[in-house]
Amino acid sequence: MSIPGLGYIAPAPPPGSAAAAAALVETTTIKLEPFWEYRFEVPASTTLTVRLVSGTAEKDGTELAPNTPYVFTRLKSKINTWQTCELEITSPNPEGPTTPDQTSLVSYLNLHMKLEAARATVQRSIEAAGENNISAAGMGPRVLVCGPANTGKTTLVRTLTAWGVRMGSQPMVINTDPTHGMLSPPGTLSASVFATIMDITTEWGGTPSSGPTAIPVKLPLSYMYGLRTPEENPKLYRALVSRLAAATTSRLAEDPEVRKSGMVLDTGDLSLTNPAGYEALAHVVSEFSVNIVVALGSERITADLTRRFAGQKTTLGEEIVVVGLEKSGGAVERDASFMQGVTEAAIKEYFFGDVRRNLSPHTQSVPFDAVTIWKVVEDSTTASSDDDYYDPAASETSLEKVEPSLAMASCLLAVVYAHVHDDPDTIRDANVMGYVWVAGVDEAKRKLKLTAPVPTRLGDRPMVFGNYPEPVIGLTG
Amino acid sequence: MASYQESEHFAEDFREALEDLQVNNRYDIQNLTMIARENTEHALAIAQTLQNHIKRVASHKKLPSLYVLDSIIKNVGTPYTLFFGKRLFETYMDAYASVDMPTRRKMDEMLKTWKEPIPGSIDTRPVFPPDVTRPIENALIKARTSAMAAQQQHYRNEQQLLGRGRPMPQQPPVPYRNTPTPPNVRPSSQASGYPVNHSNGAGPFGPPPKAPSQYHQHQSVTMPTRSTPQPSASMPAFQPPYPGGYGMPQPGISVDALNNDIQQLIAASKAEFARSPHDPSIQTRLKALLDLQSILQTQNLPQDQLVLIKNRIAELAVTIRATPAQTPTPVPIAPAVAVAPPPSAPPAAPKVSIDSLLGSGALAALLARSSATPQVSTPQPPPATMAIRSPPPQRVELPKPAASAPSDALSLVEMLRKAGMIPPPTAGPSSGSTPAPNHMPPMPSLPFPLPRPVVSGPPTVENMTSDITFTASSLKQFRPHLVPLLFESLGTQCTQCGRRFKNDAEGKKKKTAHMDWHFKVNQRIAEADKAGQNRGWLVDEHDWVGTRETIDVIGGVPTAQAAATQGGSVAKLPKMQYIPVPDDPVLLNSVCPICQEKFKQVYLDEEWAWEDALEVGDRIYHASCHREATGGSSTVAAVKYGGGGRGTPEPVLGKRKAEVSVYHPSFLHMLPPKRIHTSLLFNSRNTDHVFLKQDDLTSLRAGKLKMEV
Repeated sequence: MSIPGLGYIAPAPPPGSAAAAAALVETTTIKLEPFWEYRFEVPASTTLTVRLVSGTAEKDGTELAPNTPYVFTRLKSKINTWQTCELEITSPNPEGPTTPDQTSLVSYLNLHMKLEAARATVQRSIEAAGENNISAAGMGPRVLVCGPANTGKTTLVRTLTAWGVRMGSQPMVINTDPTHGMLSPPGTLSASVFATIMDITTEWGGTPSSGPTAIPVKLPLSYMYGLRTPEENPKLYRALVSRLAAATTSRLAEDPEVRKSGMVLDTGDLSLTNPAGYEALAHVVSEFSVNIVVALGSERITADLTRRFAGQKTTLGEEIVVVGLEKSGGAVERDASFMQGVTEAAIKEYFFGDVRRNLSPHTQSVPFDAVTIWKVVEDSTTASSDDDYYDPAASETSLEKVEPSLAMASCLLAVVYAHVHDDPDTIRDANVMGYVWVAGVDEAKRKLKLTAPVPTRLGDRPMVFGNYPEPVIGLTG
Repeated sequence: MASYQESEHFAEDFREALEDLQVNNRYDIQNLTMIARENTEHALAIAQTLQNHIKRVASHKKLPSLYVLDSIIKNVGTPYTLFFGKRLFETYMDAYASVDMPTRRKMDEMLKTWKEPIPGSIDTRPVFPPDVTRPIENALIKARTSAMAAQQQHYRNEQQLLGRGRPMPQQPPVPYRNTPTPPNVRPSSQASGYPVNHSNGAGPFGPPPKAPSQYHQHQSVTMPTRSTPQPSASMPAFQPPYPGGYGMPQPGISVDALNNDIQQLIAASKAEFARSPHDPSIQTRLKALLDLQSILQTQNLPQDQLVLIKNRIAELAVTIRATPAQTPTPVPIAPAVAVAPPPSAPPAAPKVSIDSLLGSGALAALLARSSATPQVSTPQPPPATMAIRSPPPQRVELPKPAASAPSDALSLVEMLRKAGMIPPPTAGPSSGSTPAPNHMPPMPSLPFPLPRPVVSGPPTVENMTSDITFTASSLKQFRPHLVPLLFESLGTQCTQCGRRFKNDAEGKKKKTAHMDWHFKVNQRIAEADKAGQNRGWLVDEHDWVGTRETIDVIGGVPTAQAAATQGGSVAKLPKMQYIPVPDDPVLLNSVCPICQEKFKQVYLDEEWAWEDALEVGDRIYHASCHREATGGSSTVAAVKYGGGGRGTPEPVLGKRKAEVSVYHPSFLHMLPPKRIHTSLLFNSRNTDHVFLKQDDLTSLRAGKLKMEV
């Protein structure tokens, strides 16, 4: 495929298209006993197709449809069953381990049912208060999942969301971990309401595109943070978290379905040696009025958080409950190169779509002077105390206006909903409209080549970028 | 380091706590683990106490105690790993030798988890280092091999008696015994996870009075096993202590000897009865014994039945003798009786049922007695056997034990039934006709017994989860009644996406609409493949807040509008609309706020008009754009785009024709919330999601663009 200005785009090889690969693919059928799970790791180069032959099975809480092939790639995940099931696996390497994992799943299920119970209670109070007065009613549970790296935090968030959706809730999922994106590239904080079935073949599904999708698309609200961890610029992080919290809370104030369903929050890796992580977490908890904190896979963290939130109340006057649960059994380590691959694939998918849907981005040449680009600055020296956060002067350090340069080649820029003449704080607080990718920088001619998802004039909105996500060289193959 | 004396005191306390552990009770095990965690300064003393305890307790209590060990190892780890590791071989093998097959299987599973990393831990090292677990494994393999050999030998010898005692692969082979040793008769115990077990290690075949010596004999046999990791001679250690004769029918059991034993028991029971006349268990037992005596005296029973009786008597003898003295002699507990067929009478005989021999009350009583400290003898809640983590696989393997429930036990029961020893029971042997109140009937798909849901009031989620608290222990407890809420209770699955729809009228209606939606989307996807697609911009904060998710249908049948737009053909749209070209120069240069295109001027009816145009408020739209945007209700004149909403982007994004997609697919969300509500959600559009409206529009625009390019 040749795209003007982009040259040859290497599309992801469609599964099984290569004759050589097809020859190596084998199909096996595995049978899972109750509470067993099939764990699989699919590298980017191959695919794995799963078909539910009989019984019931779910991936991260979303049920597989019977006799429907699901194609996975670049994924380490698992499919589990509560009852029994038979799965047909087609892959070059279908032999994944099947193992029992009950304790963690059982506790997640109980947690979910407890959430559903709370939702039911709120539902009644909303009905009693009347549609126009829902802010007088209670609010659904706000659950935050935290823990060390590789404990299955996102998996639990996804599972709780999927179970909620299955039972008719519309939970608001909020990702406060800039390392991974949710319905949005890494480096962003985002939120979305999940009211419809989730796409199990991807982490969260894609962002809206112009075409129809077999799985209803979810509409995210995202903010550009541009750094990997909250510690790299605590002030900016806090400001964006507060902004996201304000927007999501407003949605909860107006939308009875979402209000009843509450929020599920994902967080970044927590480490005992990093007190700044705790500070960031505490900020998230207070901003979103989190009333249930689930700490995965670390009793120490559970104890620390229990102590920290003991006696504290949310803005709604609820006690903050901290509960420690086991990490999910299949949680595996995903190394940096794997994650980098995931990031690149996500960005590629944003512009070009995936095997199921081909998207046509648009690349154009823009003079340096026609665009306004801001860069997120690292400012980890800032003390993370609350006093600093409220200092309005300090926030100016979060963004700085930069002249296009070769340094931003292959970077991802966020186009935000603000005007080019707005002050840095407004731009910082503006939500993301979309992303463009810097396809090339010609300093001599003072021109930028930008790839945008849609053909549009790019100079009207400020663009923001940071050190994260890292430049994606591979986008143009 | 704690002083020696302190440790000793502590160990004493810990021992007492351990003795309260009767069954595989998760809470108790957790408590003990907690104690161990909080007192690591006494780790050595605790480890020693626990290991001694495991060695000392009756075989049916070994498993819970081992689970304590397991739990401590997995939840606390060092220094316990070190202390337990030293004597693990001895502890494990000693216990293994004295427990029944189901318990052994559980021990096998536990051992397996010891070779793996702790679930939920970042540490990838196994629970115990391989140099600790390997000798145990080797010894077990060796024992199994010789047991297998012995079994084959036995096959040859006892062809005619062979029932279904085939060895299960992957499992410790069940040494075939056609003699009704108690362990084989209790398949229900494994289904429930309840460590029902008898002192088969303590010589069930020995005449009761000789039991102690029998025990010693057994010990001496096992000694070599423990002293060397390569117990070539260890095989007998895993068998009932009749090295030469296991599996063989007992040579002549004298009815007189039995009568004597029963007589002694009756005497002992009478004495007990005199001490505590109000204890119903003693009464029941006494009566059962008397009945048994009369049966023995009046009827001529075959040898194999005598063996059964003898075993029961032996156990009862131990009970009656042991409990008052509080010695750590194996204390058989009642549920065993439930399935171990006592000499229940031939049809005509006075009814000596299992229940009457050791009825429900008796069980509780016995349980209470065998506990060292009475304050814990409050009837245990139905045993919540789910241990903290010990050992995870155990709980998921129900189907296996159920399937492989020592088949020789089944055959035995069968045999007895044929002989008229067991009245055809209401339930099969594995479904446990256990009368004990705290003994759950095994649940078919549940690996372990759980408290029944305490549901008060209607079965709402709230009521069903009222027993769950936000604590790790409560959340870990499996509540089988909650699982169907995610499956069966939600109805049947959509074959395309797996979503469930209830089977009631409303659910069916929803499902019809949903399938309709699938059909349409699939159709659109096929069409969209032809036209180019791209990612859309996201909506701004304000509109996002105003967005409402719409799932499935609100209206039901698709309207004509929807059908028309869905076809994606402009030709199907209603009659073209025209407005006169406006006089206002500002309006004259305006573009359609939706598609950013100019209006086409035509000369119509003596004046210039704009084709496909519609004036709404003070703005002019393409009628088709407007219709698509508002879902066909072009009469909603109040709708304004781009106007009032704060932060709604101005339509300034350029003049290129293709830029229509700038506003796709999300511009609808830029409508103020209330308007979306009225104009979009309740207008009978049969879409699954509000965004899908964009699809209509896009395919239309795509088609249009194509023509114009």
